Amino acid sequence: MYEVLMYDGGVYKINELYELIEDVGGFVIQKTKIQVQIVVTMAVPEEEHAVIEEKTAELGGKLSSVPLAGTEIAVVAPTLGRHHMPHPTCDIAEQLRRLGAITVVMGLARGRGRRSSQILADERRLVEEYDAAVFVLGNFKDCIINHKTKLFEELEIPVAVVCGPEVQDLPCEAVVCGVGRKVERMRREEEILKLQEASEAIEKIIHNKRAELDEDPLFIHPAEIKSRLDELEPIKECLRPAPVVLHLDGLRVKIPYEEWKDTIADIEVYGHRLGDVAEISESSLGGSILIKIKTTSEVNDEDRKSSSS
Amino acid sequence: MAEGEDFAFKNFDTIFRQTLKDLGISRAVKSFNIISKIDEPYFIISLKMGKARSAIHISDMAQVDDSPQGVQITITDEEWAPALLTKLWQVYSKERVKQLTRFEITIHDAKASDVAPMQLDPGEELKTLLLDAIWRVFPEGFKVRYNIVDDEVMTIVGTEHDMEDAWLETARKVHELTRDVEAE
Repeated sequence: MYEVLMYDGGVYKINELYELIEDVGGFVIQKTKIQVQIVVTMAVPEEEHAVIEEKTAELGGKLSSVPLAGTEIAVVAPTLGRHHMPHPTCDIAEQLRRLGAITVVMGLARGRGRRSSQILADERRLVEEYDAAVFVLGNFKDCIINHKTKLFEELEIPVAVVCGPEVQDLPCEAVVCGVGRKVERMRREEEILKLQEASEAIEKIIHNKRAELDEDPLFIHPAEIKSRLDELEPIKECLRPAPVVLHLDGLRVKIPYEEWKDTIADIEVYGHRLGDVAEISESSLGGSILIKIKTTSEVNDEDRKSSSS
Repeated sequence: MAEGEDFAFKNFDTIFRQTLKDLGISRAVKSFNIISKIDEPYFIISLKMGKARSAIHISDMAQVDDSPQGVQITITDEEWAPALLTKLWQVYSKERVKQLTRFEITIHDAKASDVAPMQLDPGEELKTLLLDAIWRVFPEGFKVRYNIVDDEVMTIVGTEHDMEDAWLETARKVHELTRDVEAE
């Protein structure tokens, strides 16, 4: 299984690190260069951790684990009103970003209230494009247990709920209680611990999803496709932040679907067209393309069928 | 608060106090009650207001003179400047009131004898801030609201659907209760 690590150090002899990553079968996910300093996010096989650590020490850098790198997580609040924003919703999103995730903060159009709160079909589709979702709910136990579960119970992605009162048995993968509504930044010790608890819950969810994917591995790792996509002209010219975002089982590419779907589908990966080993569709988030990579067994099965026919 | 909603009770108390602090009006509230019956559901915030600063004539906080354009005002007590500007905009409209510098305001086509005796009432300003604090804390979905406001106490009751007479009656009782409470 791949482990995502972050190297923070100088640019001197950094090519040696890139070569080592390639030699051990890993990928560079992101490079951020600031003058003579560089931050490299990489995915390497777990068993090669020691080798990378040794090289990092040799280069005088610092290696840290970013367990959520390579994931895109939606942090959903019932509305974008000041009752939920910016605290604690943005505090939770920031905590997840520190662990390497790309986060999107979202407010529902009709999520406010008790009996009247609802999630629209469009919103559900949009949330389901992410690797996991965190729902940030409020103070009332009765409201959360009896009315707010309908916001997330039908979602097909893992969900963690962060709320105020102690609640159990919600139809989701993780519940973090004791947060509730906030009107100022979560900066006290007990609040920081709560943020850590929330990120640990998400880490666990992501770890489980990665383990599930490893049972039937993807035909190609998303980071490998990213390195090919990064060479495309529209990606180089794209001004949107992080034009290619990694998901656990694919990627989001922030260029128009109609214009570039064929170019992307024609990229060659291990003797196949990308369009044959992945599902390429238009994202609900305007002007983006979603790529869902098929598993190795799916691709092999399709190859067998096509050769026999 | 309803049974089992201890967290909500503590949290609403904290966030209301913090909101008052953020708006700089903590001392303007002598006491408050937050009541919620989540299974009905309704939500009540009732607060007892402190005294605002006493009203002041414009001539006491600024020098008011006639000028060829209209009236020339030179502010001498800047603390009242926002209230003065708001009042002038209300009376003469934004087109006629021009703030030339931090301390100088010109009103076109007006007379100093009309402007000087006008009063600035900080009570209205305080009520606006208190209402702002209440809306920040009040549950967002409880859009059906009823206000009971007098000189001393302000009570807002809100619900999600139809307001019931019994809840209004409760709000009136809470209103009286808040009035009788000794200052914290």
